Amino acid sequence: MRRLWDDPAWRAEFDRGAREMLPAFPGILAWGLVTGIAMVKSGLSVPLALLMSLLAYAGSAQLAALPLIAASAPAWVIALTALATNMRFVIYGAAMRRWLTQYSVRRLSLLGYLSGDFSFVMFMNRLAKEGPFENRDAWLFGVTAMNWLIWQVASIAGIVGGAFIPTSWGLQFAGTLALLPLVMPSVRSWAGATGALAAGSVSLAGSAWPYKSGLLAGVVVGITVATVVDSFTGGGTEARS
Amino acid sequence: MNSAATIDVLLAIASLVLATYVTRAGMLLVGDRLSLSRHVEAALRFAPACALTALVLPEVLGPSGSLDLSLANARWPAALASATFLLWRNNMLGGIAIGMAVYTLIALFKLGGLS
Repeated sequence: MRRLWDDPAWRAEFDRGAREMLPAFPGILAWGLVTGIAMVKSGLSVPLALLMSLLAYAGSAQLAALPLIAASAPAWVIALTALATNMRFVIYGAAMRRWLTQYSVRRLSLLGYLSGDFSFVMFMNRLAKEGPFENRDAWLFGVTAMNWLIWQVASIAGIVGGAFIPTSWGLQFAGTLALLPLVMPSVRSWAGATGALAAGSVSLAGSAWPYKSGLLAGVVVGITVATVVDSFTGGGTEARS
Repeated sequence: MNSAATIDVLLAIASLVLATYVTRAGMLLVGDRLSLSRHVEAALRFAPACALTALVLPEVLGPSGSLDLSLANARWPAALASATFLLWRNNMLGGIAIGMAVYTLIALFKLGGLS
């Protein structure tokens, strides 16, 4: 890393990436705040919430884990729920892989850990515009480092500030509402809508089952229904534009 | 809600870290030895929405453990308002603001019903 950092071309791409991340500041700030507040309001102590924020660094998976932690769900249920919530990153990784083959395992591990929704969309957009540019790793590190920084500042502010907000205001519910924008785009296709409906119904019907197995059954049934409907509607069919 | 036991939360955090690292870095590291078929990719594409709906729906329709579509449960009208807004504009801040506004209004009208 030291040698890369001293290379002016590498530094220039890093700085450019960090700068290009800045317009996303308000959105990340708001989501980080909500996640931070939701963590302490759903019963985590401030030190544990800080630990979760700094280590896990996964907004949607963190928000998804909160009600499970509050309900004392076993760790493997939390892991499976987080895996399903994070599956979009597998698709991102598969799409990015061919542009990053020249980098070392160590560098890719760090890039993978730091990467998220923004860096994927921005990376694919820049590739579409400019083709495979030089020092892609530097630019991605710039984008993801800035994303990480904004997120942590916002999340920590939410954790510390949230500790002073009375629980009776019901702000932990804002964490649930913050997950809806992640669901709504995929509900616009028949496959996504039927799958989500099946997943939610099974989970609701099984909400009293032990070990949150109703939730896991819901996810499995939902994905199956969505995949079957998708194969009938031929992939891209939209329920509405 | 009570504070969860520390050891359980630490285990939960470890699970989150593992699940996040595997999904984010996994394909970057072994992507060339693993190609996704069309069906697997479709399944992966739908997994997040299914997982989040399976999680959110019981939280919204039956926060006390069983289906509750009365106004004693302020969560479902709030989530409905938020989701309707999001179908119109996919703006996260607006969605949270509208949801929390409906939630707070209903709770204020029946006083002390926040859960």
